[in-house]
Amino acid sequence: MAQIVFAAGAPHAPAIVGLFDKAPDDSRKVVTDTYAAITNELRAAKPDVVIAFANDHLSNSRITFYPDFLIGTAAKHSGPHEWFQEWIGCRDYTAKGNPAVAKSLFAGMTRRGVRMTVREENLKFDDNISVPVTMTDLDKTDITLVPVLQNCTVPPFPDAERCFEVGHALRDFIEKDLPGNMRVALFGSGGLSHEPGGAKYYKIDEDFDRRFLELCAGGDHKALLKEITVERMEEAGTGGTAEVLSWFPVMAAIGECKGRSFGYTGWPSFRCGIGGVIWDLKTKQ
Amino acid sequence: MAWEKFNPNLAAHDLVQDMKWNPEIRKEFKQNEKAVLDRYPLLPEERKAIEERDFRKLYDLGMHPYLGGQLSRFIWGNDAGKGAVEASNKLVASLQGHTRDIPKS
Repeated sequence: MAQIVFAAGAPHAPAIVGLFDKAPDDSRKVVTDTYAAITNELRAAKPDVVIAFANDHLSNSRITFYPDFLIGTAAKHSGPHEWFQEWIGCRDYTAKGNPAVAKSLFAGMTRRGVRMTVREENLKFDDNISVPVTMTDLDKTDITLVPVLQNCTVPPFPDAERCFEVGHALRDFIEKDLPGNMRVALFGSGGLSHEPGGAKYYKIDEDFDRRFLELCAGGDHKALLKEITVERMEEAGTGGTAEVLSWFPVMAAIGECKGRSFGYTGWPSFRCGIGGVIWDLKTKQ
Repeated sequence: MAWEKFNPNLAAHDLVQDMKWNPEIRKEFKQNEKAVLDRYPLLPEERKAIEERDFRKLYDLGMHPYLGGQLSRFIWGNDAGKGAVEASNKLVASLQGHTRDIPKS
């Protein structure tokens, strides 16, 4: 049986790269501590593949023909896509893909009642994948990447309950369909509160963010689903905060585990609340 | 912004997607915005709002704010350390009609 060996969720806000040097020390520390922990623990877990859920941000499809989960099956994943290079300010990268796992995921989720979509070409990556890949130097490791770009922003998008169903199907897929000795890392890229392009661009909902991190780290899924509804996400920043939904398939797949976070910052110029969680898989209830 | 106004049929969405995916169209937009806008079936008030940089109006017509944010960067700049900040400042000022919420640094 393939094994989940690592699971984490973290934001990918472009400003944690582009405005890092201008940020106050305590905000920089949160960014550095969060991504250093993810980088180190991901490597220590020795995964063969990381399946990363991340908001697509309307980067790959027109709004009139918009998939909920888009899997990249390419052998290599290069980014950031041309227009996003200057916006993010991160370096270029080429991460190793895993076409076999990506295609197996597509077939496996289809058989389990989850509609996903695939594209073989290099997907257009913005901050969603580019920030975590470059912050962790994933491309400098042998770990392969299967990106799953998620609709978190074009209504109606899969809500918290649906993302949990997706995560339960994902767990079943990993256990039954992947090769028995395979080591799998799961990553949810997105959040925390923000309202990109909206009137509350500079408003961060610190209460939401801190409670969300607390509930994620607490491992009580019933409590999480009760409080962290799409309605509450939208209230904490329309069109942006709901990308925390990318953490939900990860949490559902690993079951009720305790997690650790590495501080929180709501520095307004990041235009996004920042904090991450790594789950301790041995603490599963 | 609430989703009850969202109108996925607006041609402005395709305009933003095409500019995002094609540097030639972005360049043309900077040099001859009218020629680019002429190619899209924009509603008269939708076109006027783009021309007047009236994002409040665009959102009231149903534009998706994520693509609205990207439109603001085609107009006012996209780079990480400088221009994108200017774009988001001007966007927020347009939406709110004031600049009180914009950080000084």
